[in-house]
Amino acid sequence: MLLFENKEQKLINILKFVGSPFKKFVSTGEIKEDVGITPSRQEFLENLANFIKTNENFILPIIGEVGQGKTHLYWALKNVIYNYNTVYISLETVNKKFYYRTYSEFIENMAVKFGDKMDSEDRVAPLRNMTKQLCNEWGANQRKFGFFQIADLDKTKEIAFKKWADKHEDKDALMDVITAITAHQLEPYKKFEAERWLIGELMDVRDLSRLNLKHDLRKRTHAFAMLKVFIENSNKKSLLFLDDFERVIPIQKFVYQSTEEVEEIEEVFDPSWFGNKQVPKRNTAERTLDKILELHKIKGLRMIITLKSIDYLEELKKKIRENNEKLLLMLKEPLVMPDFKEEDMFQFYKENLEIFFANVNYHEYSKFFSNSLFPLNETVLKYIFREANGNPREIIKCLIKIFNDIVISNEKLEEILEKYQ
Amino acid sequence: MNDSTDLVIYDALNNRINYGSFTGSIISKCQDKIIFSDNLTISNSEEISISQGLVVGFEDSDKNASAFSKKSDFSWNSFKETPLEYAVLVSENIMEQYNKDQFPFPFTISLCHTAGLYLNNNKGEIDHLDFFKNEILQNPVSLIENGIIMADRVVINEKGDPVFYDCIIVGRDEDDEIKASYELFVNVDDKNVLFIIILGIEELKE
Repeated sequence: MLLFENKEQKLINILKFVGSPFKKFVSTGEIKEDVGITPSRQEFLENLANFIKTNENFILPIIGEVGQGKTHLYWALKNVIYNYNTVYISLETVNKKFYYRTYSEFIENMAVKFGDKMDSEDRVAPLRNMTKQLCNEWGANQRKFGFFQIADLDKTKEIAFKKWADKHEDKDALMDVITAITAHQLEPYKKFEAERWLIGELMDVRDLSRLNLKHDLRKRTHAFAMLKVFIENSNKKSLLFLDDFERVIPIQKFVYQSTEEVEEIEEVFDPSWFGNKQVPKRNTAERTLDKILELHKIKGLRMIITLKSIDYLEELKKKIRENNEKLLLMLKEPLVMPDFKEEDMFQFYKENLEIFFANVNYHEYSKFFSNSLFPLNETVLKYIFREANGNPREIIKCLIKIFNDIVISNEKLEEILEKYQ
Repeated sequence: MNDSTDLVIYDALNNRINYGSFTGSIISKCQDKIIFSDNLTISNSEEISISQGLVVGFEDSDKNASAFSKKSDFSWNSFKETPLEYAVLVSENIMEQYNKDQFPFPFTISLCHTAGLYLNNNKGEIDHLDFFKNEILQNPVSLIENGIIMADRVVINEKGDPVFYDCIIVGRDEDDEIKASYELFVNVDDKNVLFIIILGIEELKE
């Protein structure tokens, strides 16, 4: 038994053995963030959650510079409004098949998770409940003679179509959606294929013809119709978090300022040779923006968009005005991400270490180092804050650098820390 | 009325009568026939009426007994006149369970028109149980010694006995009280079965 154990050296040894606690400086929509939001942003988060709960059909811009923690906010928000279908889409990666990708994300997120386990059955249970509920509403499950649920497929489809025809512009897409839903609930032999269609699997012509459908959800109109049906009929309210929104509102900049600069840039392909005035990338962005603005037709959908600066918001307003001025009513006053404060950094640092050491089963950390900033100290942390100008991402980058030094270097801790004071 | 409990609307044996108009899932036993309906009225003038009910049984007149199910209105002017033995309003709890557990099993045989699977009474004998051994048949209705079984499906087991799945059972207990219950499955010895009729889908749709 060790009577006089050097706890600090033990902690350094653990770090050297398992690696740095700071590895990731960019938050993503795919990897769940365990670290909660800092105290100074708690009020911001609560106000945001209250806004979402008391409003619907809005576009709420959140403004924060690069690395300010906008994506991290998504995870914090998702935890607060846990009974919402909260879906994250990064417009940096999603620019094609926007409706299809958004619908797929909703399907991926809809499942209710019980504990840590979730099997494939749990994943589709809400979708199954929805189709069942819809078929009930369309009278498919009425009990004939008080007992027998004998569905008249054609009559059910007719009722559904009449009910939804004025809500959907594309009638072919609507008919396919209704056919898939009724096949899922009322045609046992087609249930499996219909479910595949409903969860957005890609299907070949043979499968589609068996279901009597024209297209799968890769078709834009079909994906939009299904997205609308899903959001408007889901048991949960829906929130779409669109990150990196500035990607779809390119601010017009004169790239070629002078003839010298033009000469410096070697243009391999100029689309204007073919009569195009705009480059394709810009067209794609504009098309995506149009698609996003179309989402206003989905009743109850809440949208949060993140922007790097207020300039982008002004540009967005201009675009919306060109498109449909009425949509400006949906666009709410922007919320600006509050700055990261010094005490936030201390809290963030401590919380990160606690989670890290708990994950590596070194539970003594919280016991022996609860009031200590070891292996760093207050001076180093304040230096990091100054160097990073309070930008959370830059702070994490500095922390990664220092901890990498601690883990890899053979120098003593004091010598390493001296470099950062 | 509480939806969670069954209600005996009429019981001739125990002289139990509930006056009024009832809607829901009502099973009535009328001699050796069964009536399914979503309504039943007993007026103060002792008139009993059922509109648009489905009567299921074997034809009386035919020497070669044949099963039937048909939609019909029923009306009897007085309790003395009525051949009704009992009528039960099945609780919503049981109905929800029954509907929930109906499983669209892909290898189930559905008949287009109503047919008799088994008959063993004074009208004659029919026994197709062996023919349908190990098969699953949709929408069976059975009259047994002291009750009625309606099920989502019936399987004829290796012994040739019917096993009813997802079923509602209505019958008399040892005190001759009418009870209704839901069972996930029920094994019945064919000796106790008076008849089993498989309801035709087309006739239910009519």
